[in-house]
Formats: sequence, structure tokens, C-alpha cells
Amino acid sequence: MTTPAIQVEHLSKRFARAEERRSSLKERVVRGRGVRRPEFVALDDVSFEVEPGTTFGLVGHNGSGKSTLLKILAGVFRPSAGGVTVDGRVSALLELGAGFHGELTGRENVYLNGAILGMSKKQVDAAIDEIIDFSGIEEFIDQPVKVYSSGMYVRLGFAIVVTLDPEILIVDEIIAVGDEEFQRKCFDHLFRLRSEGATIVLVTHSMGLAAQLCENAGWLDHGRLRTVGPASTVIDDYLAQVNRQEADRADGRPAGGTLVGATRAGSGEVTVGDVEFLGPDGQPAPILVTGEPLTVRVRYTAHEDVEDVALYLGFVHENGIGIAGTNTRMQYGPLDLAAGAGTVDYTFDELPMLPANWRLSTAVRSRAHTMDLLEKAFPMTVRAKGEVENGAVRLSGSWSDPQPADDGAAR
Amino acid sequence: MTAAPTRQVRVAPPLWRSGNLIWNFAQRDLKSRFKGSALGWAWSLVVPLASLGIYAVVFGILFRGELPVLPGYGKPLFVVWLFAGLTAWTFFASSINAGISGLIGTGALLKKIYFPSYAPVLGTTLAQGIQSLIELGLYLAVLLVLGNLGWTWLLIPVWVLVLVVFVASMATALAILNVYVRDLAHLVAVALQLLFFATPIIYLLKIVPTSWHGIPMRLLIEWTPMSTFVSVLRDLSYCLTVGDWRKWAAMVAWTLAALGFAYVVVRRRGPDVGEAL
Repeated sequence: MTTPAIQVEHLSKRFARAEERRSSLKERVVRGRGVRRPEFVALDDVSFEVEPGTTFGLVGHNGSGKSTLLKILAGVFRPSAGGVTVDGRVSALLELGAGFHGELTGRENVYLNGAILGMSKKQVDAAIDEIIDFSGIEEFIDQPVKVYSSGMYVRLGFAIVVTLDPEILIVDEIIAVGDEEFQRKCFDHLFRLRSEGATIVLVTHSMGLAAQLCENAGWLDHGRLRTVGPASTVIDDYLAQVNRQEADRADGRPAGGTLVGATRAGSGEVTVGDVEFLGPDGQPAPILVTGEPLTVRVRYTAHEDVEDVALYLGFVHENGIGIAGTNTRMQYGPLDLAAGAGTVDYTFDELPMLPANWRLSTAVRSRAHTMDLLEKAFPMTVRAKGEVENGAVRLSGSWSDPQPADDGAAR
Repeated sequence: MTAAPTRQVRVAPPLWRSGNLIWNFAQRDLKSRFKGSALGWAWSLVVPLASLGIYAVVFGILFRGELPVLPGYGKPLFVVWLFAGLTAWTFFASSINAGISGLIGTGALLKKIYFPSYAPVLGTTLAQGIQSLIELGLYLAVLLVLGNLGWTWLLIPVWVLVLVVFVASMATALAILNVYVRDLAHLVAVALQLLFFATPIIYLLKIVPTSWHGIPMRLLIEWTPMSTFVSVLRDLSYCLTVGDWRKWAAMVAWTLAALGFAYVVVRRRGPDVGEAL
């Protein structure tokens, strides 16, 4: 028999719409008390439980109610209906250094913030050295925080929270601040808290982080809890829907069919008119998926008979680097084309490109002479199902099992 | 079978256990107020003493001879008479103004972390109180130098306590309401000005006509909240009498009313301040 660390029951939160709020006396007089105000429903009948010692991720698009839910969990907002009960002390990390006062020194702010977070003076006294040490800004600790850089600001803010040793920690997406070293410190701390048995609820837009940290997750969509369960399932569901939505938006025009901001160069004996991306089902696919079959169909028009030409494809990553290229000469040698229109296909059994907004360049060349060149002309939106590795393309190598070194060789 | 957890998310310690938080807000106010200015803390005495000087020069000439005699001095002393009224009034007016702007200024914080919304207001009141206490000390020191000392001074701490409760209640209620109706700050500014002249601080009650166009002016002015406080302080420290028991009763009645007002506002409006800011 376990008691959940957090129990959310039929939680709803409604806000009066800003245009309906009477925040000045004139408005109250002129517009009266208002006929039944239309409300904005930020959370609608949300129920879930978080087991003690586990980490729970909240995912969802912007405006789905994640932050509202966090604020209710942190006690900043009160629920309109339903309720939240907890089993342990809650600490919230909604904004680092929110309570800092610019004119006060770092040290004075630590005491102020500690008091706001519910610490006694004695507790802060005991923790102050650890806080200063963790923040790594001891030389500025007695200067007013208004002279701090934004990085120093969040460092100090986080350092205070670190010493709280919360039983339940509510974290908004704030870890994505500070430099690499500090981020690592923050993650180490989160992992340490987790291993010490703290219950953590975190909002994140990084699916990698969610998959790495969370056992369970919930997906909020327009204030409703769409799915709740093991993190990997929820993340897959969520990503599948994001992909679908993006596809819907891209729908109506064949992907790659649009030339985006490209200028055509070349002498023009042969021109590429259009590129189509055909998915696993042979139909034009608006979103391309890593690891799935893909056919790139290039439509060209030869305005006269040409000899000894080759068609080139270049794949350019969103960071601007040409990652890979291929051409027909590598397979057929020189190509002769009769006047008229036609198509050439390039087929992947498994698309190696990793999620990014790729661009495809096309070219038709005859030896060193360029007949047609469209640089980065065709957008190629690659997305993944589930979690993927880092980088631009998927490697095709494989790992062996670990082989213990035999004793003789070791000596 | 799982048991439901029982604790609420909001841990709201009772008022008397929020002391550390309130004290930290007060320190924030005190420390930040004069930081960067050359005279620093001295300003908290220079400003009230300067206005005391101005009022003394301007009104001392107008009302000469009308005052009751200062027992220890043998004749009336307008500056001291004025000092008592100004000290009490400054505490009242500046606590309300500072409380209103203080709570708005703490807005960013209240949207991120839960703590009782009265804490920053009580913090600013405490900060004002410390300054006013220094002024009061100075006032009493002047009386001491003049040899005007009596057993009625022992009642001054009681008077201070009642005044603090009254001022803290008004500041808290008005600051929280102002979050919901922002015009309140402007209204309060006007009301404070009106009340300043409707309190016998810079003039004597006896120059007010008993009736003016059928309105019982003197009666009204005599019983405004701050009139009762100012009058009791002058009785205790200047005239060295306990004063009219009805003044004491009115003072306590105003305080209880303010306390009730603040209680209702904090209970009904306090918990959602973070949302309305």
C-alpha cells in the first residue's frame, strides 16, 4: 500500500479573459459587474497520480496548460475545481532568481529568497557556504545583483534551490539556461535528487530529456490530459501527433514541390521542374521519417537532345552544411537524354537523415558545364518516430558485445 | 488499495510564524531605500525633520499663543506639538503608500512562488515603523531635554501597539484591494491628502468652526481615526495626562474595524493575488 506523492483529482482551472476583467474603477462603473463572464479554460478535469520517488514529465505544445498545472502544483494558483494533495514538502523552481532585488547584494538576496522559499535564518546560515560554492560566483557575492550577468543571476537562483533538499520538486523548463558546465551541474543535481528518492514533476519541450529523466509522463492538449502513462509511450504518442499536425499544415501541396527562394542558374538545355518525395506507400509524403523508405522523384525537361549529362542531388542540413550528395554518373556513367519531359528516381531503403529541416539541391551538368542548378531549393522536413540519436545522419555501423581482455594480454 | 495523500500544496503558516519572511521583506525595504545615496540612513531623519521645520515656520507664526502650555517648559511650544502629530501621521500615510507600491512591486515574485500576500505589505509597514520609531524616539528625547517627563509616558508603548495594528491592517487591506482595482492607489493618494487636513496636525481643533453650513465640522474632525491617535499621543507625551477615555475607546474601535476589514480582504482576496497581478 503506497501513498502517491502527488494526487491530482478532477482539476480544472478557468481564467476570466483579460478583456473581461475589470481592473479599473471606471470599467467597473461603466460596464457594471458584467453579465456572466466568458472564461478561458486552461485546465479541464485533469486527474493523475505521481508515485513517490518517480519523475513525471509534462509534455504538450505551447499554451496547452502545462505551466498553469505547474503553478497549481506549486501553490501559486488555486484550482477552480477539483484539487491537489501531496505527501511531502513541495518546492517549486518556476523561475530562477525571481525574488532577487537589484539593489541588494547576492548574499542579502540569498537570505531574502531563502525566507520566501520557507527557510529559517538558521537554515540559510547553515547553507550559505554551500550556496555560494555551488553558484561559483564567490567574488561577486557581496556586490548588488543588478551588476550581475544573466548567467550569474540564474546560477545564484539555482544554487539556493539546490540546498533545499525538497521531497517534491516542481521544475519548469529552466534548466536550459547557463553555460554548458552549469547545465551539467544542474542535471547532475536533478539526477542526484532523483536517486535520493525525491519526487520530481517537470515540464519540458525536450523529448530527449523527458525520455532520459522520466518514468512516467502526461501529455496535455488544450487543457485536457490526452494520455498519461510510461514516458516512452506518451512521448511517442505526442510526437506522432506533432508530426501529423505538421503534415496537415503542409498538406495540399506536394512536399518539395515548392521552390523556396532559389535562383536558377545554368545554360538551360535541361531544367529540373519539380521534386517529389514519395513515402513508404508510394504516395507523396509531406513529412519524411528517419529510417523509413523514401523515393526522391525528380522531374526534368530536356529542351533539346543532350549527350553525356548527369543529374546531381545534394542534401543540405538546416545548419547550412552540405552533408551528402549523389549523382547519376556514379551509377550509369554518362547519360543521354532525348528532348522532352521525364523523371528520375533516387530511392532510400531507410532514410538516413535525422530530424531537421533539410534542403535539397539539384543540378544537371555535362562534364564541367552547368546546364541547370537549383541550390537548396526544395525543403525536406525530416522527423522521427520516437527518440533518435544525435547528429545529422544515421550511421550504419554496429557494436560488438564487450570482450573482456584475457589475462595473458593484460599482463 | 492506495491511500490518498492528505497535505495541501500551499503551506500557509499562521501570521505569527511568518515573522522571518516579513522581517526579510522589511530588511529588503530598509536596505534598498537609501543604497547608493551619499547620506544613506541619515535621509530617514533629514526628510521628516525638514518637513517639521517647514511646518513649524509656516504655521507656528499663524497659531502663536493658541497652544496649551507645555508643563515642563512653562509655556507652549509649537514645534513639539507639531512633531507629535507629524510622527504619527507620517507612519500612517507612508505605510499605506509603501504597502500599495510594495505589493505591486513584489508581483513578479508572487506569480512564481506562493507565500502569503500580506507578507510583503507587513514587511514595508515594519520598515516604516522602524523609521517612525526613530522619529518618535527623537521626539521623546526633545521632551526629555525640556524636562517634560511624566508617568503617562508608560502608556506610550500601548499607544504604539494599537497604532501599529491599525496602520498594518489598513495598509494590508488597501494594498490587496489595489491589485484588483488599480485606481485605488490614486484614490488613496487623494484621500490621504484630505485626511491630512481633516486631522488636527498643523492646526488646533479649536479653530475649526463647530458648525459650517449645518455640517458639524469640529465633531467630524475630532473623531477621524488619525485625530484620535494624534490627540492621545499629545495627551500622553505633551500634556502629560491620560486624556479622554472616549478618545482611547474611539482609537481602539477604529483599530478593531480596520482589523476586521483587513481580515475579510485577506481571506477573500488574498489567496488569488498572484493571479490578478
